[in-house]
Amino acid sequence: MSDYKKPLPKIQPYSQAFWDAAKSHQLVIQTCSDCDARIFFPRQQCPKCWSENLDWMKASGKGEIYAFSVTYEGVEQPFADDLPIILAWVDLEEGIRMQTNIVDCDPDDVSIGMQVEVTFQDVTDEISLPFFRPAK
Amino acid sequence: MSIAIIGVAEVPTARDPDRTRWGILREVCMGAVRDAGIDKNDVGAVISVNPMAQPDLALDMALGRIPEVLGMEGCKDICVVNAGGASTTNALRMAKYFIDNNQADYVLIPHTTIQSDIPNETLINFFATAPLDPQWEYPYGVTFNGAMGLITNRYMHDSGATMEDMAAVTVALRGWGALDEMSIFHGKPVTLDDVMNSRMVSTPLHSKECNFLADGGGALLVTRSDIAREMGKPAAYEYGHGTRFTGATPVLRSDVYFTKAYRESSQDALKGAGLSIDDMDLRQIYGAYPFTQCTALEGYGVVPEGDGYKPWAEGRCGPGGDLPCTTMGDATGRGHTGSGVSMAFYIDTVRQLRGEAGRRQVKDCEHAIISTSGGSVMNTCTTVFGRSPK
Ligand SMILES: [Zn+2]
Repeated sequence: MSDYKKPLPKIQPYSQAFWDAAKSHQLVIQTCSDCDARIFFPRQQCPKCWSENLDWMKASGKGEIYAFSVTYEGVEQPFADDLPIILAWVDLEEGIRMQTNIVDCDPDDVSIGMQVEVTFQDVTDEISLPFFRPAK
Repeated sequence: MSIAIIGVAEVPTARDPDRTRWGILREVCMGAVRDAGIDKNDVGAVISVNPMAQPDLALDMALGRIPEVLGMEGCKDICVVNAGGASTTNALRMAKYFIDNNQADYVLIPHTTIQSDIPNETLINFFATAPLDPQWEYPYGVTFNGAMGLITNRYMHDSGATMEDMAAVTVALRGWGALDEMSIFHGKPVTLDDVMNSRMVSTPLHSKECNFLADGGGALLVTRSDIAREMGKPAAYEYGHGTRFTGATPVLRSDVYFTKAYRESSQDALKGAGLSIDDMDLRQIYGAYPFTQCTALEGYGVVPEGDGYKPWAEGRCGPGGDLPCTTMGDATGRGHTGSGVSMAFYIDTVRQLRGEAGRRQVKDCEHAIISTSGGSVMNTCTTVFGRSPK
């Protein structure tokens, strides 16, 4: 696994819980215990009320594609073997929007509004990245 | 107190290995001072536009080399401003501070970028990492083109614009660039077929709709509007300004197309000017990707929301059209010089207001509205300029 050449997420102490959960193939969302905000991406304080009283909730892992773009060129070398890459913004049921890739899907079949579900790829021993695929 | 731009100088956008950073810098600084018709020792401050991905030059600028090398004996202070593509706008704001506080009557704002000596992989890395989040975007292979492709795709979905409609924006921008000796695409217009048949980079963006990185440089010489009036020469007088922040990360923005930011910043600028959008003879939109040319027109209130692509598709915004927009060509029609695109936008606006835009000249150009942005359009900085004292 250590031959993974693509950039790994630069994990922060306050986002560690997200990646710990991802490692066990669970998608979680940071929440504010004072104002109930759902926070993405994770921060050290709630962006709505500045509370530092933060928690995590399990996400269903289901969402729909708000926007997508299929990239055919212009990526850094480590991504070149993956082309074409389907970039997508996915709206989760829980009301947050994530940047991700759509996998297990032909680029010609992807569409705005498509129902998708999370799927994790163990890219190193420590990191599992959340991707999305067409919902079954 | 308001300001006016009374001097400009620029070198053509090109990939020319014979030009050096300091060679361009020297040429544009001296050129803008001469164009303004003042003495070098009258320059009271040098506010430089931060050059992206060129740390040595940025340090030269930040630590005062320009007035020293050029012997600007009246210079009271210097600084560099960095807000990505919106740096020139912030340099103008800083110039206003020096002028308003009687610290300077004349302020020089230079910019230089050379990207052709930076390895391609480094540039891709810079433009992939600089505006994107290293944790939540970068690991997914997002590039600048990819992020803007996402937004363009959704814009087409919401507005009903076709790929051909969007390609028409690039045809118009390249049309302006083809008429401009300062463009890397001078003499090289493209047809709709040329755009549609160019390589697909990130759907729906073809290679001709993406930015071509190049070298360039320019400078502005700014003074108080009453001094400009006494000089009695044509100038670009600042009438009003407004600005809005949209957010750093594309996926997190609620104002996905910046329409609200264009609307509110233009309303502030027009209110300051005491004018309406219908009084504008020219709209200059620096968004670096074609969809912004559409959504800015929607935000400005030129057309209803969702209709911004139509005047472009109808050929009204390009050369010969009745709604001239972005005669500078934007990055797509001009070549992308990092933080220098906004510099070129201001210079082109000055040329239009002075009646010096040659074959691109907008007839009787009295008022112009211009929007610049930094990052991946983290903000819209909108200014109304007029050719006469307000
Ligand atoms: Zn909160």
